[in-house]
Amino acid sequence: MIARVLGLLSIGAIASAQSPYQAPRTADGKPDLNGIWQVMNTANWNIEDHAASAGNLPQLGAIGAVPAGVGVVEGGPIPYLPEAAARRKENFAHRWTDDPEIKCYLPGVPRAAYLPYPFEIVQSRKTILFTYEYAGAVRIINMDSTKEAPIDSWMGWSNGHWEGDTLVIDVTGLNDKTWFDRAGNFHSDALHVVERYTPRGPGMLNYEARIEDPKTFSRPWKMSMILYRHQEPDARLLEFKCVEFVEELMYGHLRKKTGGKP
Amino acid sequence: MKILTAFAVLLAIAPLEAHHSFAAEFDIKQPVKLRGIVTGMDWINPHSWIHLDVKDASGKVISWMIEGGSPNALLRLGFNKSSLPKGSEVIVEGFRAKDGSNRAVGQFVAFADGRKLFLGGSAPGAHGDGDK
Amino acid sequence: MNISRVLIAAAALSAAAWCQNAVPLTPDGHPDLQGIWTSASVVPLERPVELKGKEFYTPQEAAENARKVLGISSWERLGVQAREHYNMSQYGLDLSQVKVASTLRTSLIIGPDGRIPPFTPEARQRLAERAARNRGHQFDGPENRPLQEQCLVYSTEGPPMLPAAYNSNLEIVQDAGHVAIVQEMIHSARVIPTDNSPHLPADIRQWSGDSRGHWEGATLVVDTTNFTARTSFRGSTENLHLTERFTRLDSGTILYEFTAEDPHTWTRPWTAQITLARIEGPLFEFACHEGNLGIANTLSAARAAEKAAAEAAPKGSK
Repeated sequence: MIARVLGLLSIGAIASAQSPYQAPRTADGKPDLNGIWQVMNTANWNIEDHAASAGNLPQLGAIGAVPAGVGVVEGGPIPYLPEAAARRKENFAHRWTDDPEIKCYLPGVPRAAYLPYPFEIVQSRKTILFTYEYAGAVRIINMDSTKEAPIDSWMGWSNGHWEGDTLVIDVTGLNDKTWFDRAGNFHSDALHVVERYTPRGPGMLNYEARIEDPKTFSRPWKMSMILYRHQEPDARLLEFKCVEFVEELMYGHLRKKTGGKP
Repeated sequence: MKILTAFAVLLAIAPLEAHHSFAAEFDIKQPVKLRGIVTGMDWINPHSWIHLDVKDASGKVISWMIEGGSPNALLRLGFNKSSLPKGSEVIVEGFRAKDGSNRAVGQFVAFADGRKLFLGGSAPGAHGDGDK
Repeated sequence: MNISRVLIAAAALSAAAWCQNAVPLTPDGHPDLQGIWTSASVVPLERPVELKGKEFYTPQEAAENARKVLGISSWERLGVQAREHYNMSQYGLDLSQVKVASTLRTSLIIGPDGRIPPFTPEARQRLAERAARNRGHQFDGPENRPLQEQCLVYSTEGPPMLPAAYNSNLEIVQDAGHVAIVQEMIHSARVIPTDNSPHLPADIRQWSGDSRGHWEGATLVVDTTNFTARTSFRGSTENLHLTERFTRLDSGTILYEFTAEDPHTWTRPWTAQITLARIEGPLFEFACHEGNLGIANTLSAARAAEKAAAEAAPKGSK
């Protein structure tokens, strides 16, 4: 008898452990993803495993150094095609000049999700807005119909739909000018990303990005991580219009030699 | 009445004036008329760019970049990245960059046979006649 | 309170009163402002001096004015810039090629005068000193160039949000507690909380300020402070205080009104009303900085001109 009860209790325990988290709903019955989100990892430095390492400017010492991090790529190293693997090595060697993040360029998808800056989701039935603190990057997710991208863009073309409690976003029309991280991991303009945002607990989302790019990788692969909702009262995105911080770097060589700022 | 309209129009264009002064970039004293083959188009902002291979007098091929308008209105009208095919022969009337580079503002752009590239604009030879 | 404000407020109240159903509501019970809208206008910000005192056209006069403004060529519209400019209408960028909201106003600025009020003496001096410092230095470096040429911030975003020569498009998305306004140029989004929560601390200044909102019946009221000194909306200081009002009039129209106040700049606050008309869209990405060859070309041209002038100068003189 006692064994039976214990057995039933343990089955109950397993059942509740396996039943998925039920997120609070919006008025139209979908999981409420509204709010300000941010990762707590170092994927933006390198989406693969990385030890701590020195930075590029000795005078910045520990501030400019690279922290360690466990990779977010599932199932082994990124499956680069041979030519692409060589190009990635080159990117890494030139990362302190060639990383588009240095120039405050728009980050593309999925990098925008794991930058060290928060982003905000404003969720409506037909449209979901993702707005990123970094460089004011913006994505409008079309939930209403599937349209095709007429041209390539930095932040791509996003069509979304719900699969149960998961927001699935299909991203095409991405240009080839963004990187996946500061370590030179990159892609071509054939990139096709499928994102999945799934509530996993109060204020937490599982974020998964499936990467497909036959010009760069031998097969599709995935990265996954957790997004955390900001809980500070009055949490809000601030401005990081970084264009003004890169003008000297980008245009300093065109400056009048004897002249300068007013 | 004409004066009133012009005045009202000047006020309306104030935002455009603050955006970008082409007089600073391109030289009214260096008009160009280029005939070349499209090797690509950048559908980007704030200005689109047409890449053109142009044969100079000696037959050597020079790569030019032609500056145009924001493509967003064209995209809303249904144009896309395939709308200006590579290999198209086009004629460009414009002005060369002041810094001497092989860049020009494309005042008028048209296919070599006179058809418009996108919308509006006069055919070459009708410079300054307006549009529509 | 001027007549036009009363009329608009009455219209909004009666709209709210007789039909909350005519203006659809979001699931959390507020007017639905969502969609894609254009602020394109045939009417200038400031009223031509000849029309002083004439705040409204008759419907016939408005139609005639619209016909005139839309009927001119894109070259006339470019005015002094036409000489080296590309033909706008090739790219669908002429005002006559897009939807324009209708209005009976003779200017966006409301009131008998229809013009920005005079500068304060302090502002006149500040702006004169700034102009004097910049004179002869407009092409020295990137920070000497206009904010739009640097791709820092456009007048379409502001706030306030002014119509531009083209791409005067915005998209509004709402959730329970926020109204987000996305401007096409330069892909900026203001996510405005509607709980009237407090502004950022005074030490945090932003190009677009800090916007907080609340609903007054059928109208979204947005209060914006915390601007930087470099934002300089029409010469304003970091003390610029903006109040914006959004009222959905019908299925295809939002009335957007803003009041600009800065006692360090203008002798009194001033108000403009802009009609937003629904359009099909979509908004397309306007990655300005990423494609900004123009600023490099402009600086390079200035350096080339200086070099040419130096080489042409007779030897031994400067």
